[in-house]
Amino acid sequence: MMRTLSEMWAFFWRDLCIARTYRTVFVLEAIEALFGVAMFYYVARFVDSPQLQHALPQGGGYFAFSLVGFVFLDYLNAAMDTFDRSLEEARDSGTLEHLLVTQTSLPVILAGSAAYPFAVTTLRIAIYIGWGAALFGFPLHQANWIGVAAVLIATLLAFTGLGILSASYLLLFKRGNPAKWFLLGVSGVASGMLFPLSVLPDWLQLLARGNPVTYALEAMRAALLGGDGFAAVWKPLVVLLLFAAALLPASVTVFAWALRRTKSTGTLSHR
Amino acid sequence: MECKTSRVYGKLPSRSQLFSTGRQAISCGVSETAIRVDALEKYFPPTRSGWRAFLQPFEKPTIAALAGISFEVRPGEAVALLGANGAGKSTLLRILATLLLPTRGFAQIAGHDAALDPRGVRRQLGYHAGSDLGFYARLTARANLEFFGRLNHLSNRTITERIARLGEQFRLKEALDRQVRTLSSGTIQRLSLARALLHQPPVLLLDEPTRSLDAIGAAEFRRFLKTDILAGGDTSLLFASHTLLEVELLADRILVMDAGRIVACDTLNILKRNTGASSLEDVFLRLTGRGSNFHDAESRE
Repeated sequence: MMRTLSEMWAFFWRDLCIARTYRTVFVLEAIEALFGVAMFYYVARFVDSPQLQHALPQGGGYFAFSLVGFVFLDYLNAAMDTFDRSLEEARDSGTLEHLLVTQTSLPVILAGSAAYPFAVTTLRIAIYIGWGAALFGFPLHQANWIGVAAVLIATLLAFTGLGILSASYLLLFKRGNPAKWFLLGVSGVASGMLFPLSVLPDWLQLLARGNPVTYALEAMRAALLGGDGFAAVWKPLVVLLLFAAALLPASVTVFAWALRRTKSTGTLSHR
Repeated sequence: MECKTSRVYGKLPSRSQLFSTGRQAISCGVSETAIRVDALEKYFPPTRSGWRAFLQPFEKPTIAALAGISFEVRPGEAVALLGANGAGKSTLLRILATLLLPTRGFAQIAGHDAALDPRGVRRQLGYHAGSDLGFYARLTARANLEFFGRLNHLSNRTITERIARLGEQFRLKEALDRQVRTLSSGTIQRLSLARALLHQPPVLLLDEPTRSLDAIGAAEFRRFLKTDILAGGDTSLLFASHTLLEVELLADRILVMDAGRIVACDTLNILKRNTGASSLEDVFLRLTGRGSNFHDAESRE
């Protein structure tokens, strides 16, 4: 256990040290987040009405509803990109083969490569919400922080499986990310990101019920905006954990198979 | 040391045949083994069998990168792979390093099968790919070595001590705290060798280890390998090289490869005696059948 943590820490520290060499990125992203939050605030001021507020699940304003949806899109995007980007960088820099001849196991290499990007994305979400609360009245007073942490962990586990599946595709076919395209495309419409599911036709609502993003959003809104304790959070949380339980082992198995396939064809380091 | 030529099969043998009846090409038999390669074959793209062959009957023909080679390396022994480009040297080293899967046959390091127990193999080996890629360009040389040291389960204290020692041995002291992107090819090559040695593996696989080194760096590296690594008798070395001087200096035995086959495997003196050649270059040219063409061209010039 300690060895695994030490290996994970090595990956995290590596990525942190590399990120520190790009000094201005963090400041620029924080400023970008401010403008992003402002955009949602003014869109909400334009469209908000008592009827709309009544239609939203937590009954709050559209600003809080859409901001949570938007930052979760960022989280999903990061999950789908992290493994692909790590793999591409490792392949381009020639470090992939050197990682694979170390004594560290494949699941730890995968998890370690994702540790820093997920931490940064979580921090970015905090900055978005922080700007929203500090400048635009995002309601944090009802937040159930333990619930928020639980939802973030469950979401991370569920989305990690999707990211690893996407990296398996990249390993085999070298370019493209159809899982990301499909999931982000579907999630834009069928997950309740920017509007409640109740406005969708029945068949799209059904599609949304098969999408883990829907449950992540429901759980996060319930934890962050609802203030209902675990009562409103646990159902979507359980569904997310079920997604994670199915996707994580399946994705690691698929990745190991893809890796074996590329070792057989001799295309491991091909671009 | 015994070398024998075995039967050549008309068609590709099954795995059970490989172990019961014979081997292709040449086998160098030794009792204790650090590396054992038996009837190893590698085809690109891989040959298909069973339902896959039925589904893709018109797939393009495969090329044999390794055509059933067998040899063994004893603990503490240094064996050189000598062959023209495309002879299969790097393919062999990559299979042993668990980066490629063989089509047939097997490769073992310290008793661990490279295809079935890759983690067991990786515990035993240090691998140098002969390229100046393979590092995080924006990290310092030291941070890179620390990272790979941790992934090889070394403690912080051990990593610090070994980096200091290898830094001296490879003339890397000045470079250790600079970002890798600012280092020359030769320095990165030395860094890569230091990485391969950092966890003191009992088996070293080096693919053209002095390719990007200047004359001084290459000489120092050869001396370091000879006196600090091989002299102890605990480390086995299998290395591919086009530098004949390096092969003569380091190798206990020389394994000459041509078109995926081992055409000879012995000490330099025995190879010279068997071929009637006066130099390693001559041995190589005669064994690979290029000797007469080469000498004709030379005499025309």
